[in-house]
Amino acid sequence: MHELRDEVPAAAPAAVKRGRAIVVTSGKGGVGKTTTTANVGAALGATGATVALVDADVGLRNLDIVLGLESRVRFHVLDVLEGKAELDDALVSDKRVPTMKLLAASQTREKDDVDTQAFRALIESLRERFDYVLIDCPAGIETGFQNAIVAADEAIIVCTPEVSAVRDADRVVGLLGDRQSIRLIVNRVRPALVRRGKMLSVDDVNAILRLPLLGVIADEPGVIISTNKGEPLALDAASTTGDAYRKIAARIAGTDTSAPEIPRESTFLEKLFGGRR
Amino acid sequence: MSSRRIVITSGKGGVGKTTTTANLGATLASRGKRVCLVDADIGLRNLDLVLGLEKRIVFDLVEVVEGRCQLRQALIKDKRFGELLAILPAAQTRDKTAVSETQFATVIDNLAEMFDYVFIDCPAGIEHGFRNAIAGAREAIVVTTPEVSAIRDADRVIGKLNEKGLPIRMIVNRIRPDMVRNGDMLSVDDVCEILSIELLGIVPDDEDVIDTTNRGEPLVLSPDSRLAAIYEKIARRLEGEIVPFTTLAAPSFLSRLLGRKAG
Repeated sequence: MHELRDEVPAAAPAAVKRGRAIVVTSGKGGVGKTTTTANVGAALGATGATVALVDADVGLRNLDIVLGLESRVRFHVLDVLEGKAELDDALVSDKRVPTMKLLAASQTREKDDVDTQAFRALIESLRERFDYVLIDCPAGIETGFQNAIVAADEAIIVCTPEVSAVRDADRVVGLLGDRQSIRLIVNRVRPALVRRGKMLSVDDVNAILRLPLLGVIADEPGVIISTNKGEPLALDAASTTGDAYRKIAARIAGTDTSAPEIPRESTFLEKLFGGRR
Repeated sequence: MSSRRIVITSGKGGVGKTTTTANLGATLASRGKRVCLVDADIGLRNLDLVLGLEKRIVFDLVEVVEGRCQLRQALIKDKRFGELLAILPAAQTRDKTAVSETQFATVIDNLAEMFDYVFIDCPAGIEHGFRNAIAGAREAIVVTTPEVSAIRDADRVIGKLNEKGLPIRMIVNRIRPDMVRNGDMLSVDDVCEILSIELLGIVPDDEDVIDTTNRGEPLVLSPDSRLAAIYEKIARRLEGEIVPFTTLAAPSFLSRLLGRKAG
């Protein structure tokens, strides 16, 4: 018997997929967490990777709107957590990006209704099925934030070049503790204002935060238009901002190792002739 | 004399609650009113930064509630406005559950005896911090931007304020007239139709705001700023004057040219 046992190798567990769980957070609201989640998710999905986008902003969900999927949401996170719906029925498909799915937040419930450990288990089960699980964190550092970060071992901090956003981001970095990776996207940069000394530069922002820079996104009207329309710029091949998101996705995937560029301002003539988009 | 207790809220973050609180408060103080601004964003305070008072903080709201200092000791007077403008800062290293709704309301009651206006700068979201911020208020100003996500969040907050029976007025912030004209942005009329609450003010998107908030200077101190005049009107409406809404200045030919989209 002993001999036999020694000859049979220990049953190796079936290889379980374990995708990357990345929380997109900021502290301050309105700096672009949801827009970032939608665009980075779409850009990752467009490369063929499987992506689940999870809206953790229970009560004030918006990721569905930014993706243009609001009319297709039937079930949400709490339905799944409370056993009222199967996970598969709650995952909303996006025809534009077949490998991407959205799990919407509940609009009429409260963040305190979410059981933190059940939420962690939900993210774990998504990681077994998707290459990337991006979690769109609510503003603030209350219960909703704690739930959103609990299952993520990587974080993307979104910050705008404003003193208040930098201060809040700094506080959040402290609360994230020693995650595998915390990287920074500086959003809504206006190079012309930076040049005139009327806006913090990317270097100014990162002098305080000191995080690896994942990307820089310009402030441009195209972002507002695309979020209102529910069409992520990352899927617009002609958009320079979309290109910046695609590069961020490539840096996350490890296929692009170039340093992030500071967005270039349209010249006067380009603006005149409509070259800004 | 009954003083006004007004919460400034939005649901969505980053739409301009703190900037609105600071500028409206500073404008009323410059008009001779005694004004106190309370930062309800415990853990993520910013009102002190927007007013450039961050270096003068000694005590905060949580220490007042815990009896570690007197209310008056925690108030920071803004010297640029004589003794008329004060802020009560939030604690930065605590969390929102450090204060209960009852405790928060008591602080607001005490401030109401000392000031003509008490503005409460609400945190983003609808969690504990939001419930605290509305606990002591008698009126609400909802700040929103002409974006679908901000309007949806505002709608949710309006529902919560209605449950409490607070009268609500709205400021539509960061309007870009050229984008509205091109059909790329919802108009103020669109926003009013969706939310159907009384309009208190319309504030255009202006790059001065980023610069002045980073430097901690309320706009009312730069009288040539077009936004200073706009906050003045909002302040007068708040005081009960009937001030007509002016349509935002028609853009110049050049800005129309530059604002035109491709295709």
